[in-house]
Amino acid sequence: MVKLKFLAGVLLAAAAALAPVAVYADDAAATAAPAEIAPKTPLPDLPRNKQLILGWSIASPIGVTNPWAVPGYTHQEGNNLMFEPLQYYAIFASKYIPWLAQSCEYTSKDFTSLEIKLNPKAKWSDGTPVTADDVVYTFEGQMKNDKLPYHADFVQYVDTVTAKDKETVEVKFKIPAPRFKFEVLTLKFDTGIPIVQKAWEEKQKDVNAAAGGVDIPHSGPYDLVAWNANQKIYNLREDWWAIKAGLRKDPAVKRVVIVNLGGQVGQNMDTVAQRLVNNEMDSSLDMRAQVIGNILAQNPKITSWTGNKSPFGYRDWWPNSLWMNTTIAPYNDVRVRKAMSLSINRDQINDVLYDGAKVATIYPFPLYPALQKFADSPAVKAEEAKYNPGEFDLDKSAKLMTDAGFTKNGDGLWEKDGKTVNATINGFEGIHSDIAPVLVEMLRNGGFDAAVNFGTDAQQNMNDGVPGLYMFGHGASLLDPDAALELFDGKYSTPNGSAAGAGRWSRYKNPEYDKLLDEMAPLGADDPKFQADAAAALGIYWRDVIDIPIIQWLHRIPYNNTYWTNWPSDTNVADGENGAFWAHTGMIEITSLKPSGAK
Amino acid sequence: MATFRLVVRRLLFLIFVIWAASTITFFIPRLSSRSAIRERFAQLARTGGFAPADLEKIIANMQHQFGLDQPLMQQYGEYLWNVVHLDFGYSLNKYPSTVLDLISQALPWSIGLIFVTTILSFIIGNLLGAIAAWPKAPRWMRTVATPFVLLTGVPPVLMGVLLLFFIGFKLKLLPLGGAYSIGIVPNWSWEFALDMGMHQILPALALILGSVGGWVLSMRGMGVTIQGEDYVNFAEHKGLGGLTIFRDYYLRNALLPQVTGFALALGTLVTSAIVVEGIFGLPGIGTVLQLAIQSNDFPVIYGIVLFITITVATLMVALEFVYPLLDPRIRKN
Amino acid sequence: MATIALASGVEERVQQPSQVTLFFRYLRRNKSLAIGLAVLLALVLFTVIGLLVVSPKAAYPLAAMTKQPPSWKYPFGTDFFGRNLLAAMAVGLWQTAVIGVLAGALGTLIGIILGFISAYFGGWLDNLIRGICQVLTPIPVLLIQVVVASTLDKRDVTIFTMALIVVMLAWMWPTLVIRSQVLTMKERQFVSVAKLSGVSDFGIIFKEILPNLLPFIAAAFVGQVFSAVFASFYLAVLGLGPLREPLLGNIIWSAQGQGAFFNGWWWWPIEPAIAMILILGSLALIIMGLDELANPRVRRSE
Repeated sequence: MVKLKFLAGVLLAAAAALAPVAVYADDAAATAAPAEIAPKTPLPDLPRNKQLILGWSIASPIGVTNPWAVPGYTHQEGNNLMFEPLQYYAIFASKYIPWLAQSCEYTSKDFTSLEIKLNPKAKWSDGTPVTADDVVYTFEGQMKNDKLPYHADFVQYVDTVTAKDKETVEVKFKIPAPRFKFEVLTLKFDTGIPIVQKAWEEKQKDVNAAAGGVDIPHSGPYDLVAWNANQKIYNLREDWWAIKAGLRKDPAVKRVVIVNLGGQVGQNMDTVAQRLVNNEMDSSLDMRAQVIGNILAQNPKITSWTGNKSPFGYRDWWPNSLWMNTTIAPYNDVRVRKAMSLSINRDQINDVLYDGAKVATIYPFPLYPALQKFADSPAVKAEEAKYNPGEFDLDKSAKLMTDAGFTKNGDGLWEKDGKTVNATINGFEGIHSDIAPVLVEMLRNGGFDAAVNFGTDAQQNMNDGVPGLYMFGHGASLLDPDAALELFDGKYSTPNGSAAGAGRWSRYKNPEYDKLLDEMAPLGADDPKFQADAAAALGIYWRDVIDIPIIQWLHRIPYNNTYWTNWPSDTNVADGENGAFWAHTGMIEITSLKPSGAK
Repeated sequence: MATFRLVVRRLLFLIFVIWAASTITFFIPRLSSRSAIRERFAQLARTGGFAPADLEKIIANMQHQFGLDQPLMQQYGEYLWNVVHLDFGYSLNKYPSTVLDLISQALPWSIGLIFVTTILSFIIGNLLGAIAAWPKAPRWMRTVATPFVLLTGVPPVLMGVLLLFFIGFKLKLLPLGGAYSIGIVPNWSWEFALDMGMHQILPALALILGSVGGWVLSMRGMGVTIQGEDYVNFAEHKGLGGLTIFRDYYLRNALLPQVTGFALALGTLVTSAIVVEGIFGLPGIGTVLQLAIQSNDFPVIYGIVLFITITVATLMVALEFVYPLLDPRIRKN
Repeated sequence: MATIALASGVEERVQQPSQVTLFFRYLRRNKSLAIGLAVLLALVLFTVIGLLVVSPKAAYPLAAMTKQPPSWKYPFGTDFFGRNLLAAMAVGLWQTAVIGVLAGALGTLIGIILGFISAYFGGWLDNLIRGICQVLTPIPVLLIQVVVASTLDKRDVTIFTMALIVVMLAWMWPTLVIRSQVLTMKERQFVSVAKLSGVSDFGIIFKEILPNLLPFIAAAFVGQVFSAVFASFYLAVLGLGPLREPLLGNIIWSAQGQGAFFNGWWWWPIEPAIAMILILGSLALIIMGLDELANPRVRRSE
């Protein structure tokens, strides 16, 4: 009796346990991503001083190394060590670093044709040379495949791409494209396209679903050798073409280990900080202001971009503003927008959050050398004096609101027709958890009904243009203000009821503004007409308070000098790249590191 | 015959549970208009500057590919059909990984931790609870056992943070995170097993200490009820020794109802594991679920919730067949 | 036979002690109930006095100097955003109490109603209710709550909606408990007697059964309050609560987010942690105490 029941129970449990396995076996043929990448033979032991250990939160699916796999691929988790571009750009040295291409120049004054000459020594990891065919294939792929990130740019600008010989490619544009080389064909920060191998991509049934794994041929210096939920391991390949071509000396970092910090990122950054202090890692993703100060204090071998001094970081390309949908009430009244801006006390932000460092901003672009020059130019300064975008004045704010027809209700909030001004800030907890609550209090003091929304619907709210404010950056301008100003070009603004594209949440439409942008588009940045139009456009941005600029973005990346030195910093500009090992230029940074001499 | 009917009824129960869980987890995330595909692209835009001008078209294409633009009831029908085949589909956020891929990658890192902690917590908690309610137990034992109830006030979340801070940061006795030390490639050696073990101690401790209080409380409640039963008094009057009574009459009877609770505890522990894994950076099921919730990746969410529910329900049903082994009275029936 | 007249003093001594005295005497025996109630009372006093002494506005950011350790001016210190933590604790405790009591009462009420209907009227209704309870039990409740909370529009997440979320899947246990108790009572003599004497169904329910169930209802209520507070704390610690409010879980969540321990602001997360331990601990002790109360055979004699 007992046996039967017992047996039945066991069988039931066993069946439930085995069923998924059966289904999985069935599906095995169709699965694209492997469960785990483990080396076939054990990896050779390497001393610690030949390994670089980085801490990151690995989010991409295991096995995806193909740059054309969408949306799984990211260059940030080590794949930037595998794929290379025609050239890099070093933002702090203000110069190009030619790479797969020895030269890439416009051949006509009106920027309608471009010639690329490849480096004859460039080779793929399978031994075959990088040829013009690969470049043509890469470009044409972007033009035809609408899932790829730069598809729209290629379609808008590129007319034809032809291989003139094994090492020369000619590109003809439909309309003048003065910024195409910089924006699209150069890798810097996280933008630009790498070159992929035609032979491999051609063989894939669906390039957007092909994972790549360890087999995909690449031109970069490191090979993926292991990847599981806990870490990724890359080994240097000594036959990297750039060494023989003289572009780089043999890198001292023989192995890169990227540790998956998983859930410790965000809510538990203090644990990551402690692990850094314990020398478990050589660098990690960036830290908050308070934390990095303490890290440096606890472990003197750890430094930052600004050494041991505040603000411990470099200016990133993503200055944040409070955006809003300027086509719906009450945000469509410029007085309301200006009143909100007047209730933000940028000095207090600097004091409370950054210990006095000047981080708050009034610009929609980062102040890199070229852009700093632009911001300091007399024309821009004149516009700034006219509109005073950084002003903090609660009385002026109140007057504007009363002019706009609002009255203060019992809770001290502005109200019109029974509705308060919805100032819910939609943001992202991982990056805005310190600034958002402060902004909420400031807005409430100004009489606006503010609250924080870090929910998973924040991004969707921005895209849908719901009432409220959106805390987000401008990932646009790096060299000249055109890209940032173009974010507000009316031709990209979608009507309400449809989703807004990235950076188009203001839905701003102004023919006067658009006219300026159209004039600027075909001109080079040095052209005086370009400069004048850009200043005027920036003036309109301030006059109409299209969004409320709040802070520059700093990347406070800790560098542990225990095993590796020669990290980029404000005193060690080196090649001119920033200190983010996850950016495309991370490859440049990692291959320049020098051993500290420690065992 | 009775056995057969019992098995059938239990199977029906199992099916109902799975259906209820599937339906709840199907509808709730879809009631919001959020899109996991959008979230992934937004994440890429935020961190990687990936902002193609025709993002909308790309998203629409992918939504069509996943069948997300069909009417809701049709999706529900397909979904139920897939559940029967245990096909949870692709993860929206981590395409081209499938949900089963993600679960099978993460499961090895969680399974040991969750099972071991549930069992240990069960044993320790129930023992302490039984002692706490047994008036014949030495006074010092009872005073030691009772305060463990207070531990219910320290959920595993809090426990993890506190343990990490005091033992990891301050005393530097145990590793600060990760499933194993950096740079080692997993292999079948003793060294690796030991290394992994060291990394599991703090998370296990957090989970055990955080959940043991619940067992103490409920077992004590059980114990208090049984104390008053006639057969216990009778055993005492018969002159049986203290330990014998404790073990054979008291413990065994009080433990029985607790066994059902064991399956439920497994489910609760997984929920606590979500946060504990986050605190210790363990790449297990909890972390996968947390990422999925953050990006509203609903195939993964209901894949994991269903997985847990099926495991718990199956365990409950299986345990019911184990009952007769523990309780001869039921056997007779 | 002549009656013996007792001296007046003796007569007075035979008077029954008052209800209150009996209650305190019982507390002396039932230590866990006593301690639990005492701690709870202390927390209530702290909250009430706190709310009177400090302005609630000080519980929100930018109210005071930031990152101050506990001192005479700020007895509980301040946090990174400038909240006065004394005010934050008082307001947070109050809000936690509201959620706990509201959700607890609601859950218990549902449990009583469904439990009664199920047990008293029996038949298919009983099977249905019991079946639903059993089927919903293996589903990991906290997980569903997490999914629901993260699905809501952030502005809809208030103290009250949190209470509702927490109750959503928590009513099954009181239903089953009440049901089983009512079932036992249904068969007892006093009910049959009442029925025979023509008392209506409602009369039986209210006058006969309900009073005997009070200890179980009290235990179920405290249990519900416990799980409500626990669940709301869990959701808040994950960042799913109403973020601006100083709920205890929220404070810990924001402290963790700013790396409080590493930066040396230990008082910021420790204070709400201690408060939560006290709340849940005292509720647990009360539950332990009620266990004894409900089982008359075990009530320790004086």
